[in-house]
Amino acid sequence: MVFLAKLRAGLDRLYLAAGALGALFLIAILSLIVLQMLARWTGEVFPGAAEYVGYCMAAASFFAFAHTLQRGAHIRVSMLLNVVPAGMRRAMEIWCFAIGTALGWYFVWYAVKFVYWSWKFKDISQGQDMTLLWMPQTGMVIGAVILAISLTDFLIHMVFTGRHRIVHETVESHAE
Amino acid sequence: MEDIGIIALFLFVLFLLLGSGVWIGLALLGVAFVGMELFTTRPVGDVMITTVWTHSSSWTLAALPLFIWMGEVLYRTRLSEDMFKGLAPWLAKLPGGLIHTNIVGCTVFAAVSGSSAATLTTVGKMSIPELRKRNYPEKVVIGTLAGAATLGLMIPPSLTLIVYGVTINESITKLFIAGIVPGIVLAAMFMAYVAIYSKVSKDYHPDEEPDMSFADKVKNSRFLIPVFCLIAVVIGSMYLGFATATEAAAFGVIGALILAASQGSLSWKTFLESLMGATRTSAMIALILAGASFLSLAMGFTGLPRGLANLIADMNLSRFELLMALLVFYIVLGCFLDGISSVVLTMAVVEPMIRQAGIDLLWFGIFIVVVVEMAQITPPIGFNLFVLQGMTRHEMGFIARCAIPMFMIMVLMVFVLIWFPEIATWLPDNMRQGPG
Repeated sequence: MVFLAKLRAGLDRLYLAAGALGALFLIAILSLIVLQMLARWTGEVFPGAAEYVGYCMAAASFFAFAHTLQRGAHIRVSMLLNVVPAGMRRAMEIWCFAIGTALGWYFVWYAVKFVYWSWKFKDISQGQDMTLLWMPQTGMVIGAVILAISLTDFLIHMVFTGRHRIVHETVESHAE
Repeated sequence: MEDIGIIALFLFVLFLLLGSGVWIGLALLGVAFVGMELFTTRPVGDVMITTVWTHSSSWTLAALPLFIWMGEVLYRTRLSEDMFKGLAPWLAKLPGGLIHTNIVGCTVFAAVSGSSAATLTTVGKMSIPELRKRNYPEKVVIGTLAGAATLGLMIPPSLTLIVYGVTINESITKLFIAGIVPGIVLAAMFMAYVAIYSKVSKDYHPDEEPDMSFADKVKNSRFLIPVFCLIAVVIGSMYLGFATATEAAAFGVIGALILAASQGSLSWKTFLESLMGATRTSAMIALILAGASFLSLAMGFTGLPRGLANLIADMNLSRFELLMALLVFYIVLGCFLDGISSVVLTMAVVEPMIRQAGIDLLWFGIFIVVVVEMAQITPPIGFNLFVLQGMTRHEMGFIARCAIPMFMIMVLMVFVLIWFPEIATWLPDNMRQGPG
């Protein structure tokens, strides 16, 4: 049980750390845009700024996916979930996590393959940045792996305890 | 259309995944996977990754987390108190009295935040207790707040418009500029309703406000000046062509941080909270967009969009009839889905229809925003209703009834948009072209 407790704490820390990394990429986006504007006003060029911002955007999203899931910020249609009896609800939650887990690992599988070929062929960005594409793409893979791990983790938890590990914050979703 | 049976299966999977509560982004990914497997022989997984990567790593999309962050920072400042105190003296003498602080407050906060929930909480936190203290009818307090907060979706920066622009490849800046006048017109319509209601209704007897000298009024609202400057910088820089939407968003974040710091409400804790909140909300939308990008590719292979566009063309619907059909469709959809998901889910199918009917896509963006705004205040899952329920402890049914007049005004707004399309298209046609 000690091992499980340690694993539990370790996983939770992993999601939070990845989320924090995502937040750092958000700061990187802001910095890059500011630098790019400063360069333009002073008559300099910052080649490939738009591409770098794009890579940071992908990294910010993918690294934060698992953390977002754990905080209950990924939205879903919960109308049916809220009206069915408890037993049914548990079955439906398991179904949701199972679908999520399957899709998560499916995505990871092809993402790894995609980056492997991109690395093998030394794919280069079409933009002015001339980045080797496998570098930013690796961020997407790592983020996708962490998301898949979290979905698996929550699925197992759901099956054995009947509760998921998603923390609901009162009014989290500011997107609406 | 190729095969009705396969299409029915495809739609069934869509409803099954969404309805059973699979997270929307993942559900769209799953549906797209099924669609690709059913309709093509192409290597599905590889296509999926390429599509998702291309759409996730985009400069335009970067406006999204930044605008969310800007709203999150301001949400944690003293803006809530300042807004009521600063607006009340100017609006007290209008017919309908301080109820107008709800509407004007929402309009102002909508101009710094792309979210209607944040707009609602920021304005409502202060105005609900203050208005109750002054004996304003509860029904109007709640109703106007629910309705006016939806302006957060229309007045730039608007998350729904960013998502719409990214989905159909339209300029975000132009969409933002297009949203300004309709947003103000809608706010004016809300205010007109309040003014008329206050004269007609028998139970509208709020306490009188004390008279204030002009100097005092200015003194009370001096805290609002920085906010107005911020709005002017963000929207002005886009309108005058100094900055793209993404760059204006960066101005917005920096301005919001400076504003918060100068008020003394920027601590390490609020900074972290705002940053992590923005990261989460943006990741949430990014997952939906990732799923949607793959789904719209898959939709293309199903032949559904083309089939429907042809079907509509064969039916010889007039533009007006088509828009009415879409209006009803989106209101129904809005009862089950949030605005952003409704937009990304349907655009692959609706876009060819709209193009075929010769409807301007910029204008349609504003149309669709008004329509998904309505969804915010319709039960069973109007998001604003939930937020208000949390804030006021009223029953959902009561809040929904309070919001009915606002809903009707929004329906009227749709017709205004159809009769006078210029209110959406004139401003973007006359803005200066900027970089990119």
